[in-house]
Amino acid sequence: MYLLQPHLHTRRAFLKRSGQLALAGTALPTALNLAALGEAAAATATDYKALVCVFLYGGNDYANTVVTFDPASYAQYATVRGGVGEAGGGIALAHADLQRTLLKPHMPLADGRQYALHPAMTGLADLFNAGQAAVQLNVGPLVVPLTRTQFNSPDRKTYPLPPKLFSHNDQQSIWQSSSPEGSTVGWGGHLGDLALRSNARSLFTCMSITGNAVFLSGDSALQYQVSTGGAVRVRAATDNAVYGSKAVKDLLSQMISEPSAHPLENEYVRVMQRSREAEVHVAAALAGSQSSGATPLATEFPTGNPLADQLKMVARLIQGRDVLGAKRQVFMVSLGGFDLHDNLIAQQPVLMGRVSEAMAAFYRATVELGVAQNVTAFTASDFGRTLTSNGDGSDHGWGGHHLVVGGAVKGRAFYGAPPPVSVGNTAAPQDQWHVGQGRLLPSTAVDQYAATLARWFGVGPQELNGILPNLRQFGATAGRADYPVDLGFMGMPA
Amino acid sequence: MTDEVTDFRATETDSRVGTEASDTRWAQRAALTGLAGLLAACATPGGRLLQRSGQQYSRAQTPEEAARFLLHAQFSASDAEIAAVQQHTYADWLARQFDAPLGQTGWDWLNTRGYGQIANDTRYFDHFYPGDYMVWNQLMTAPDAVRKRLALALSEFFVVSLTGLDFAWRSHAMAHYWDTLARHALGNFRELLEEVSLNPAMGHYLNTKGNQKENAATGRVPDENYAREVMQLFTIGLVQLNPDGTEKTGANGQRLETYTQSDVTQLARVFTGYDFDQRKNVTVVLDPEGKRKVGNTNFAKQRMAFTANRHSELEVRFLGTVIPAKTSGGDALKMALDTLFHHPNVGPFLGRQMIQRLVTSNPSPAYVARVSAAFADNGAGVRGDLRAVFAAILLDDEARSPAGLSDPKFGRLREPMLRLVQWGRTFGITSAQGSWKMGDLSNPATQLGQSPLRSPSVFNFFRPGYVPPATQMAASGAAAPEFQIVTESSVAGYINYLQGVVRNGIYVNDPDLPNNVSNSKNPKNGFDIKASYTSELALASDAKALVARLNLLLCAGQLPSALQARMITALNATPINAASPPDKRLDRVAAAVLLTMAAPQYLVQK
Repeated sequence: MYLLQPHLHTRRAFLKRSGQLALAGTALPTALNLAALGEAAAATATDYKALVCVFLYGGNDYANTVVTFDPASYAQYATVRGGVGEAGGGIALAHADLQRTLLKPHMPLADGRQYALHPAMTGLADLFNAGQAAVQLNVGPLVVPLTRTQFNSPDRKTYPLPPKLFSHNDQQSIWQSSSPEGSTVGWGGHLGDLALRSNARSLFTCMSITGNAVFLSGDSALQYQVSTGGAVRVRAATDNAVYGSKAVKDLLSQMISEPSAHPLENEYVRVMQRSREAEVHVAAALAGSQSSGATPLATEFPTGNPLADQLKMVARLIQGRDVLGAKRQVFMVSLGGFDLHDNLIAQQPVLMGRVSEAMAAFYRATVELGVAQNVTAFTASDFGRTLTSNGDGSDHGWGGHHLVVGGAVKGRAFYGAPPPVSVGNTAAPQDQWHVGQGRLLPSTAVDQYAATLARWFGVGPQELNGILPNLRQFGATAGRADYPVDLGFMGMPA
Repeated sequence: MTDEVTDFRATETDSRVGTEASDTRWAQRAALTGLAGLLAACATPGGRLLQRSGQQYSRAQTPEEAARFLLHAQFSASDAEIAAVQQHTYADWLARQFDAPLGQTGWDWLNTRGYGQIANDTRYFDHFYPGDYMVWNQLMTAPDAVRKRLALALSEFFVVSLTGLDFAWRSHAMAHYWDTLARHALGNFRELLEEVSLNPAMGHYLNTKGNQKENAATGRVPDENYAREVMQLFTIGLVQLNPDGTEKTGANGQRLETYTQSDVTQLARVFTGYDFDQRKNVTVVLDPEGKRKVGNTNFAKQRMAFTANRHSELEVRFLGTVIPAKTSGGDALKMALDTLFHHPNVGPFLGRQMIQRLVTSNPSPAYVARVSAAFADNGAGVRGDLRAVFAAILLDDEARSPAGLSDPKFGRLREPMLRLVQWGRTFGITSAQGSWKMGDLSNPATQLGQSPLRSPSVFNFFRPGYVPPATQMAASGAAAPEFQIVTESSVAGYINYLQGVVRNGIYVNDPDLPNNVSNSKNPKNGFDIKASYTSELALASDAKALVARLNLLLCAGQLPSALQARMITALNATPINAASPPDKRLDRVAAAVLLTMAAPQYLVQK
């Protein structure tokens, strides 16, 4: 079952609807749901599905996250990284420390390649080995499939590159939206566009528990942001009085929500309106998931872990999905601090431990809520980093390894090609999968990664090109069966 | 002044030549004639230096215009400042502020408050909070408000965040960084760039500290972080720009990137060999067990020290400059920074972002071009004079013309931290015990969602090119940087935070002590930091006068009259007279302030 009828999937339909939305934007109040636009909440979906993007801000060091383990590759890795740990002066992890987090796939990789997760990632390693998590190797932004020779070619017309490679803000934006900074529509938002009709209140389609990110903005779908404590009520507009005055409270309540002819004022007002309208519903959803009648979420989340705080709120919102009227949701959470030019060995245990513990707890929560098959979490990051060491850290790169977690994931498996462990700059085959200093040349495009998740979410194959602009350059129909549209890590919809 | 007279003569002479260039020269001459007219208007030599030819709005005609100028140039407006601006030209007033002596440094304030002491129980060197208190104190109380306002704008360009400084004496290092920005905010960009590059806080933040040359044996290569960001964020940006800030395009209409990965990799060699300068540091053994040794604060205010044998001697080719192999570290740094400084992008790149921080989110290309021109030449042939740059921004017709007040494309969302500073300075904020214990206010759900020197990354709180999705701005391609920190949580959190602070002030534990260990038995605990509202309380019984005052001081007269009328009615719903007790008068003043500062017409500065 796909989310929409084919005639509604077109770009034109998007634009038409966004035109309507713009009209609604000036004729306030803005829509908490799009019923006002004639898109009655048709609830075309009967089941529930959610995608959760876990964004690792700063550019995650792929080489110490999914760590090469088989003796030959490990030896290469340790040499390139300048030795083991702080004692050795380099940034390699000790082989002995990787035994506990060794990944044991159903099907061994070719050439005896083996990987382990960072030693702090026991929770995710256990999920992988239990079949609820998979690893997508060497994924990153691509406009077209590229070899290293093509990357170095001056012919940028035939071999276009993603713009502004190695730049944090731009590569974050490209991962989320296929375009550099300034982009206003992301692929999570596009998924939301297609899912709006399934949800009784469309505002709860794309929810951020972190800050603003282009990922969750669609042509019609808006990003709605809640804090780790839930939605924030404007006390001065909802209490009986402000400083003892009901008249002041009444005026404040009115004036902060009145439209303005000035675009900046008006947009601030629109956010305020959404905040106030949505808060009531979010409060009800969270109250229902905590008290009176319903069982509070029992799964324990780690404390002192900002990512866990966010994912706990996602779990509570999923628990309250019926109150929110949500059948299809896209969430975004994030953790910062991954730009480890320095102190990589000292900082990674904390960061990797947080990612692993938070995502593992979140998976357990979905099991508790009976939605493990319906919720998929995946990681993303600005870029991978260099394999070389700069003394005690690594520098900006391109491709990286990412994790997909959930009951619907075809887990305990690696997807994509294991990149050779190399920093060489010769024409030899092992030097073709990096672009210098072990910056991985992606062998899988973000568009493929997104398409695979989107198909599971319920997006029809003919809808994919409309939400992932580079996808038409990949897959069998583009003559590139070696870059499949479906990477295979998700069970496909019936 | 001698130079300008010389220039004028040269133009006179040249204009007789009658070549194709004569039209341009005629325009220059006309402009200079205009300048001559303005020379009479400006009463001081300093003002004359700042005024640029062709500027039409040299003097505030009304108190509202004066307040509007003050709110662009500094944090707040007072009655006395409005009067002072009206007495002079804008340029004269600005020149006077530019020449004002530096106020107390953040560094000195920390030490005055005792935060430089080394003791096992307090361990101030390990804490972030003195740095927060330091910068709030600076913003709320500094007498050199224009300089501090510009330093704050620069702190959002040359970003170092306290949050990222996890070493001993982090707060002192942050204070010295802040003091460096303040000291050089009205100096030359080239000197500022060098000070920033060698500053220990920046050295730690972007990893120049400890950066070493390549090592073929281990495969180690220089850290690229500073080399990349000094280009991307601090000087030239990613794409080639025209002087008006628009992007240059190639033959196929494509953007032209300014540098390649190779430029970054090679420039990184220049920034090797640096580390904290510990030469004057005296180490103290802190605890009886000898587990913790800590040096004093000295290194945190020294430029980083250079060690030649850790510096790369490889040749560096970047942006067309060749730094030969074995060039000394000092010479290599000079060549590298000179190359960046003279890149044609710097003027429009810096200029546009400073306009965005101070005046408007979407300046016209012509406005950016005028500021770029001031960067390129301050009128006396000097490139990078920040006085000229900031004066060009603040005195420009686009900033000063009343046309901006009715132009829907003009203006910017006030940053939350600036709203709080404006509130404090406008209403006579004090810290009774001098504690200034205002911490990190970054939580968007319960506080401001922004705190000075607390950016989440080197990319600042928001990006200059941020376009909020699904908005009128997105439809028209307009930027609205500050909206990157506007969310459904933050808009509610802001009003909630304000509601308490405006009425009661900020609650402080142990306001008489520097540490922030909560001691619930201390009788001095309480609202140590609060507004005095002296003038406003005196007006409390006259709602109309109170609203008019707030409209002038907070909004430069930009609140619609209909809204003012509704505010007056709402305030009068709770009658106040001369006999009303002080807390009722305070209720009314606080209500008027809260209403004003929640108004969309206040939140967008025009």
